[in-house]
Amino acid sequence: MTEPQATSEQPELEAPPEEVIAELAQDMHIATGTREPILETVGVSMVFGGLRALSDVRFSLHEREIIGLIGPNGAGKTTFFNCLTGLYTPTSGVVELRGRPMPQDPARVTAAGVARTFQNIRLFPSMTATENVLVGRHVRMKQSAFSSLVHGPQFRRSEREARERSEKLLEFVGLTRFSDELARNLPYGDQRRLEIARALATDPSVLLLDEPTAGMNAQETEATRQLIFAIRDLGVSVVVIEHDTKFIFTLCDRVLVLVQGELLVEGTPDEVRGDPRVVEAYLGAPPDEVEAQIHTGADPAVGAGEES
Amino acid sequence: MTATRTAPAEPVAPAPVRHTGRNAGMLNALAPFAKIGMVVGGVLSVLGAYLAWSTFVLNKGAFPERSTLTMFVEPLGVSGYRLHLTVLGIAVIVVALLRIPARHRIVRGLGLGITFVALLNGLWIIVEGGGFGAITASDGTVAFGAVVALVGGLVTVLFAQAGGLEPRPEWTWRLPWWAEWILLLVIFAIVLLLVAEVLTSGGQGGVVNPYAGVVFLSLLAALAGAFAALNASGLLGWVAVVSERHRVFSVVVLLVCALALPFTNAGTEYWMTVASNIGVYAATAIGLNIVVGLAGLLDLGYVAFLGIGAFVAANLSGAAASVIGIHLPFLLVMVISSVVAGMFGAIVGSPTLRVRGDYLAIVTLAFGEIFVRSAQNNIGSLTGGANAIPNIPQVAIGGLAFNESITIGAVRLPSGVLYYIAIVLLVSVVMLVFGNLKYSRLGRAWIAIREDEDAAAAMGIRTGPIKILAFLIGAMLAGLAGAFFAHKTGVVAYDSFRFLESVTLLSAVILGGMGTIPGAVLGASILFVLPEKLREFSDYRLLIFGLALVLIMRFRPQGIIPDRHRKAELADTDPEDVAREGPGALPTEVEP
Repeated sequence: MTEPQATSEQPELEAPPEEVIAELAQDMHIATGTREPILETVGVSMVFGGLRALSDVRFSLHEREIIGLIGPNGAGKTTFFNCLTGLYTPTSGVVELRGRPMPQDPARVTAAGVARTFQNIRLFPSMTATENVLVGRHVRMKQSAFSSLVHGPQFRRSEREARERSEKLLEFVGLTRFSDELARNLPYGDQRRLEIARALATDPSVLLLDEPTAGMNAQETEATRQLIFAIRDLGVSVVVIEHDTKFIFTLCDRVLVLVQGELLVEGTPDEVRGDPRVVEAYLGAPPDEVEAQIHTGADPAVGAGEES
Repeated sequence: MTATRTAPAEPVAPAPVRHTGRNAGMLNALAPFAKIGMVVGGVLSVLGAYLAWSTFVLNKGAFPERSTLTMFVEPLGVSGYRLHLTVLGIAVIVVALLRIPARHRIVRGLGLGITFVALLNGLWIIVEGGGFGAITASDGTVAFGAVVALVGGLVTVLFAQAGGLEPRPEWTWRLPWWAEWILLLVIFAIVLLLVAEVLTSGGQGGVVNPYAGVVFLSLLAALAGAFAALNASGLLGWVAVVSERHRVFSVVVLLVCALALPFTNAGTEYWMTVASNIGVYAATAIGLNIVVGLAGLLDLGYVAFLGIGAFVAANLSGAAASVIGIHLPFLLVMVISSVVAGMFGAIVGSPTLRVRGDYLAIVTLAFGEIFVRSAQNNIGSLTGGANAIPNIPQVAIGGLAFNESITIGAVRLPSGVLYYIAIVLLVSVVMLVFGNLKYSRLGRAWIAIREDEDAAAAMGIRTGPIKILAFLIGAMLAGLAGAFFAHKTGVVAYDSFRFLESVTLLSAVILGGMGTIPGAVLGASILFVLPEKLREFSDYRLLIFGLALVLIMRFRPQGIIPDRHRKAELADTDPEDVAREGPGALPTEVEP
């Protein structure tokens, strides 16, 4: 029970092994092969007092798709996420998950199959990595009150299944060696990965990642990109908010640009990259100069900060 | 038998310790003399024990009956605090001379024990024996035993500190299973005898026996020193690991030990009553631990649930003063009390949907006050108001009333034993509920809510119902304890459920260590034994309580037996000093 030297070790930066992905995908059993959009919003608007944070955002996400959401600070990206996850009720418009209206309560949204991570990491700091992931299994576990009181057969079965899944998920994100480590002791990058594992534990069909690479170095960012590809291979559809445009353009199938609460451009990374409106909205500077910057992949959102 | 140490091995030729931080210069200067210093400290402690302590005839009674603090009654008789000082002092000398791991840390524990024993008894002589004159030379006789022993203790601690505190070693010995069983059996038997010794030490406090309190505290201090030393040596940690290996066996032996208490010297009616009362509060504290320790919801009116359980039981017991006037079997009464208390728990818990943190504490505080005032005003004639509900009939099963004494073979057990056995079983049930729930889906959800409520909601935990469930289950456990309490004491009065009791319960949970069973039991034992023992200090009781709590919160904020999670939360202060879960850590705490 000595305090571990978590921070001194080098994080593993390999992508999850093929067989781990295959096994997990089988366990989670998410993809249905449907061609209909999984997550869809029509005309979502959000007004805070006199401030119009979102106006008429239309969006759809298909199975095994990775969508990027970019925009300058204060464009309404996180507000949009909060509308998707039931934290906010949109002032108008509808959010539909597999054709059904999204419940207006974070817990029910998770149960329905939408999981998220937070912009500022919000793990359960004094629980171990395994316990954090087990909390993620909460929604999918069946334990009757009586069975958990006496630790009966049903309890033991569900507990064993949950632990097996947690082990697989920790292996998937490369944190097996930290499984009994308190979350607070993990290195920063690994905390982000643990948050992803915890979200995946809810068997989501849609995973919303809020700035998954904030504060990471180039190597860790690359590892995260590989991880998100692997998550897609599990059958999960992913929406990513990010300031790092290079990251977004090399990761996503489609990119949405939000500016002042409005959907400015939507398209493939190439289309968005070449759109002069994007460059202008991002920097409000002469396009020729900045365009070059975007092409080289430097982060144009100087001082990319907390709120987006 | 092989021994390996996982802690960093002690260098063969001890490298000179470099202290940094406060007083580093002085400690570095003293470091070369650590060994000799520790031996001197030990010798002084033993010497102090054998010097005269007070030549005064204490003003509580005539010499020699009431003046046991003089040296002249038994010139060479070694008992009580003198015995403790001698044993601790010799232990210091032996350990200082041996080359064992964590030597300085062990000696520091022993030294702290010596210091507190000398300090307590010295202060006692000063207060009761006539001022500072009582511990220095007087009557032409040298009588500064207390001073010498105190200096010995302080010197020991100082030089142990100067010698450099080593990390606590972790032992990984493995014995054959039967040897480990025997070992655990012996250890638990020793624990049982120590518990009986501590409980009865100094005898029954009060006007007739002014020594009860200080004898008790002195024994506690000596045991705490020995405990700290054992802990520092890593042996306690090893025993905890062994008992984890034999979890079921340990639980059974512990239960048997608890049931065997009436056969020790604590087996008198008085101590059985004291032990039963501790049991009632321990069960209640464990219930509160669900709400506060696991779910992190501060409840300042918790004793109301104990009260509700007690009043429900009183009304269904067939007592003449109850308006309902029906007499139901005891077990049924317990179930009903528990359910009614649970319903009120859910009602009180419902504001948690909207209110968080400090505001919730105020809501619960108000509820506690509403309950006491309603009971005081005899609401619905259910509580008897100021007259209370007296003469609650004894529990009787098969014609055997629980307050009768029983005879097993040649052994005659005092009255109150049956109540004691009943409360031991009740506390076991409550422990089982707590322990099993803590390591279930529900328990994890509670802890997650405590850690970060929004993140918990994002993980699909429906925080509202889960929080209300914490209140409901906690209140049900308190209701169970309340039903027992009503029958045990025979009288239920609103006065037993004031705000102060809630605070004491909360203190018990915090003192013992939030989120653990042994913590709650230990906390409840300490906070409800102390008043029994410190009768002669009753004017200062709250002052002493308050001081003790402040000190514990300052130096050991995670409580005496901390929860793994809670410990980590507060570990930043001094990770070195965070003790492992001691032998008190019941195996039920072990993660499956």
